[in-house]
Amino acid sequence: MKIFDLIALSARNLSRRKGRTALTVIGVAVGTCLIIVMISFGIAMNQANEAMLASWGDLTQIQVYGNGTVYYSGSGGSVAVGSAAVGGDDQPAVLNDEMIATFTKMDHVVAATPFYQAYSLNGTITAGRGDRYSSSLGNAVGVYASAMEPMGFTLASGDWMTDTGSYGRDVIPVMVCEQTGYNFEDTRKSYNSSKRYRWYGQTDAAGNLLEPFVDVNKEDMTLTLSNGDAENPKTKSWKLKVVGSINPDTAKGWWTQSSFILRIQDVKMLQEEYKDLAGSNASPYGTDTTSYDQVYVKVDDMDNVEEVDQAIQDLGFSTYSMTQQREAMQKQVSQLMLILGCLAAFSLLVAALNIINTMTMAIYERTREIGIMKVLGCALGKIRLMFLIESGFIGLIGGVTGSVVSLLISFVLNNLTLIMAVLGGSGGGGGISDMMSMMGYYGTGSAVSVVPPWLVLLALAFATLIGLVAGILPAARATKISALEAIRHE
Amino acid sequence: MAPIIRTEGLRKVYAVGKERVVALDNVDISVEKGEFCCIVGQSGSGKSTLLNQLAGLEKPTRGKVFIGRHEISAMTENELAAFRQAHLGFIFQSYNLLPSMTAAENVALPLMFKGMGRRERLALAKKELKSMGLASRVNHLPTEMSGGQQQRVGIARAFVSRPKVIFADEPTGNLDSKTSRQVLLRMLEMSKKDQITFVMVTHEPSLAACADRIITILDGRVQSDVVPPEEERLRRRQALADELARDEAEEAARAEQENAGSEAPDAPAARQTTSAADAAAK
Ligand SMILES: Nc1ncnc2c1ncn2[C@@H]1O[C@H](COP(=O)(O)OP(=O)(O)OP(=O)(O)O)[C@@H](O)[C@H]1O
Ligand SMILES: [Mg+2]
Repeated sequence: MKIFDLIALSARNLSRRKGRTALTVIGVAVGTCLIIVMISFGIAMNQANEAMLASWGDLTQIQVYGNGTVYYSGSGGSVAVGSAAVGGDDQPAVLNDEMIATFTKMDHVVAATPFYQAYSLNGTITAGRGDRYSSSLGNAVGVYASAMEPMGFTLASGDWMTDTGSYGRDVIPVMVCEQTGYNFEDTRKSYNSSKRYRWYGQTDAAGNLLEPFVDVNKEDMTLTLSNGDAENPKTKSWKLKVVGSINPDTAKGWWTQSSFILRIQDVKMLQEEYKDLAGSNASPYGTDTTSYDQVYVKVDDMDNVEEVDQAIQDLGFSTYSMTQQREAMQKQVSQLMLILGCLAAFSLLVAALNIINTMTMAIYERTREIGIMKVLGCALGKIRLMFLIESGFIGLIGGVTGSVVSLLISFVLNNLTLIMAVLGGSGGGGGISDMMSMMGYYGTGSAVSVVPPWLVLLALAFATLIGLVAGILPAARATKISALEAIRHE
Repeated sequence: MAPIIRTEGLRKVYAVGKERVVALDNVDISVEKGEFCCIVGQSGSGKSTLLNQLAGLEKPTRGKVFIGRHEISAMTENELAAFRQAHLGFIFQSYNLLPSMTAAENVALPLMFKGMGRRERLALAKKELKSMGLASRVNHLPTEMSGGQQQRVGIARAFVSRPKVIFADEPTGNLDSKTSRQVLLRMLEMSKKDQITFVMVTHEPSLAACADRIITILDGRVQSDVVPPEEERLRRRQALADELARDEAEEAARAEQENAGSEAPDAPAARQTTSAADAAAK
């Protein structure tokens, strides 16, 4: 007997009892629909969470802190404190170039760079005629020049700095940001005068945007270190050469908007020079050239962040990464999903019982037919298969119906505000978004329910499987019917 | 020549509550290939039980049943299903057509079980139905046909796969005597044409008389096993055919008298049946 004939026979038998088949199909459809919609909520929540985390910080970046200083950073982030010491001896782990090299060699690590903030160096960056405009050196940071591109920074103009490139005697290469120019103050104005400062977005009386005092991409700038001694002032100056400018990326930090970015080797040189200039006045903080306070490690994929994070902590460092937040959020979502999923699974269980009932009834009704088929030489396996196909069909049709309905539901939920607005005035969407935020859904404007294709396929397969499993017992019963008994009586 | 059907000490006992009903006791029969064999006997004597054992629809309590070289009493259900599919055909008293299928689809069932493609098997089924005088009924459902027509569909279904043996339990039991004779002659003709062994249970002596072998059962035992002489059989078949032809002629005349405008609906089939009866008598 050909499989096609079996399928045709099953389909015909199903359509013979349309009403009952429809009822059973509805049962499966409701279950499938519930499952898809519930899972789609979970996916949407996770996506919203992910988007939110990404806006908080770079999800694939780990911040590593040197010993002695514990920073709290990011919004609501916590810092995991590693306690193990390297190699088991009591020597604390040191965050230096060798250690960064070790990080870089770890699996999944794309790049790593120290992050040095130069606020401990007493110095200024000046520009304009007579060095009228001045910015504090606190706005300068130091990184590995070669690590910038792999870390995920992007060029707005110009070029990256290189470690080997020669920029001339007493010239320090620098990269700038979109708003670096706003760091400059007009030293001719008093500290109290608002004319001394310019800030991004500031407008004049006519409402025109005000440019910063200095166009960092064009004007010459000078970096000057001073010993800070009013009686016996000593200074040393370097010319700054702007190599390029980067795009701001607040996920990596606010500093990407308005810093002067220096090469770490130049920073070290400045540290040494500052120590020479200031002598005993030099602050012990920020002048230590043998270790870093903070290092950024870039990981290839979000899923590997935890592993790398752990490895770095095992070396004895404190770290901060978004994965820690991510996991807590995912756990929350998956707990919610578990509860909703149980509900959906329960309704599918009811659907399965429904199928068993329908199939058992069908077999009672068709006892005689089964008997005839057996007497005419239909193999037992084919009879079993025929009923399994029938119950599988019920599952599949239910799955398809449920998928279509759930796609509709998902569409309606995602466009509820719009639909409400079209149907009757505005402000109708408040209810559902309130409900969603109660369920742990934060984002507004993004999707409430996300149904990826794999979810639909999975639901279809699952519904069909439910149908098949529910059909096993009735089908086995069909094969056990005595042919003789079945055909004997009218 | 070795018999195609043979039993050895066949015994069937039914347990009804604490009581035991011996439905068959020590039955040894054999049927030759191509024989048209009738099983007769009183009601409750065990005819159906015997037929069911022969066809492997039920397992004997003791004894063996052979069809050809195969001991079907020792086969598993799956083996039996395959064996039936390949070698056996069945005709039932209550027709047992599948109610959801048309005449042609019903006839094509055994071919479908054999794995034949739809177009091919429906073509064969239609041919078979045509030869049964049902060309105009191929797409009718069982409920849209008379008992006689349904039984002819049933016969077509049994013959369509040209099995080695066909079993029939009172195939004419629900039909009037004229239709019974038509159906019997048709079965006789078809089994002779293709050398198909035919085993039939019947209550009607006039039908049984036409058989090549008449086995009489009484209280579960073989009372007699007769093979009438050749001329006798031919004479009886001819008599049956003549009788049928006479009835049909009478009926046709009556119909013409009563309703000159319209023709009797079964007339073409009847004419065919008459010629079939002549053929079977030879
Ligand atoms: N399934 C069964 N359970 C118990 N007893 C049975 C069963 N089938 C048949 N019998 C008994 O076996 C005996 C023979 O029955 P069987 O049906 O073979 O008779 P039959 O000759 O075919 O009768 P009929 O001409 O009325 O069809 C009867 O006494 C009947 O009661
Ligand atoms: Mg009987």
